[in-house]
Amino acid sequence: MTPNQGWKRFPRRLGPATVLALASAAMLGACVRRPAEPTWAKFGGDPGRGAVLVGRFSCGACHQIAGVQNANGQVGPPLSTFASRTMIAGVLPNTPENLVRWLRHPQSIVPGNAMPDVGLSDLQARDIAAYLYRDR
Amino acid sequence: MAGRAREAIERFFSSPLGPLAWLFGIACGLGAVGVGALVVIEGGLFNATASTPHIAAVGLAAHTAFVRSVEVRARNIKAPTPFAASQVMAGFHDYDASCVACHGAPGVSNAAWAHAMTPPPPYLEDAARRWRPRELYWIVGQGVKMTAMPAWAEVRSDGEVWNLVAFLEALPYLSASDYARMRAKAKPASGGQAAPPLPS
Repeated sequence: MTPNQGWKRFPRRLGPATVLALASAAMLGACVRRPAEPTWAKFGGDPGRGAVLVGRFSCGACHQIAGVQNANGQVGPPLSTFASRTMIAGVLPNTPENLVRWLRHPQSIVPGNAMPDVGLSDLQARDIAAYLYRDR
Repeated sequence: MAGRAREAIERFFSSPLGPLAWLFGIACGLGAVGVGALVVIEGGLFNATASTPHIAAVGLAAHTAFVRSVEVRARNIKAPTPFAASQVMAGFHDYDASCVACHGAPGVSNAAWAHAMTPPPPYLEDAARRWRPRELYWIVGQGVKMTAMPAWAEVRSDGEVWNLVAFLEALPYLSASDYARMRAKAKPASGGQAAPPLPS
C-alpha cells in the first residue's frame, strides 16, 4: 500500500443515487417555489384590480378567500393559500398561464363542473390570478 | 380604595352641579354624533355609487345587520318541510326564469350586468347550508333593502315562495349537468311563456 492515498476515500464522481437525490431535491424546491420573477413581469396581472374583481364576480360565494369580505363559500376549494396548490381543479398543473385558462374557461376544461364561465377577459383573469398568487 | 371611589361618586352626585354636568356631557356627545352624521349625509361623504365596493367597516356592518335582521324576524315561521319533488320542480322553473340572471346556477354564470352591482348578488349553491328554510323564505319573500333583492312575496303567492325555498334546499345536491338536464327538459315544453306541466 503506497502512502498518502487518503483521497481515494473521497468519491471522485457522484454516484447515481446521489445525483438522483440532489435532482429530486432541486425539483421539489422548484415545485414549491413560485415561478421566477421574469415570468411575473410579463404576466401582466394586477393584484389590486384582482381583489376588486374577486368581489364583483362573487367568487367568495363558493370559495373561502382570506382578506375578501364574506368570501366564506364552501362549494369549491378554499383559495387562501392558492400559491402553494399543486393542481388546479385536479387536472391542470398550477402555473400562472394554466390558472388564467382555468379562470376563463372552467367549463371547457372540466365540462359539467359547478364553476361557470363567467366571461372574464384575459386581463381580468390575469388580475385575479395575480391576486390569488399574491404574497401574503 | 373602593371607599374613596364611592366617596368621590357620592360627592359628584350630591354636589348641586353634578347630575347637570353629567347630563350636559351626554347631550354634547349625542350632539357631536348628530353633527357628524349630518356632515356625512349632507356633505355627500357617503359614496353611493355601485362602481365602488363598500368600505370594509360599512360592508361588515350592513351584512351583519342583514343576517341578524333575518334571523330575528324569521324566528317564528314554521317551514312546511319536507318539500315535495313537485315543489322543487316548480321552484326550479321560477328560479330559472327570475333568479338566474342575478344569482347564476351550478355551471351557469349570472348576467354580465350582475357583476356591476354592489353588493354583487351571490351564487346560491350553498345558501341552504347557510340559512334555515324559514330564513330563506323570509329573504326571498321580503327581499333585502339596498341590495336590489326584490320582495318576491309582493308578486308571488305564498306557495310559490315556498317552492323557491324547496328548490334552494335541493340546490346543494344538483350538479351542473343536473341543472343543464332540467333546463333542457323544460325548454321544449315551455313555448316561451307558461311553465311546463311539472313531472312528479
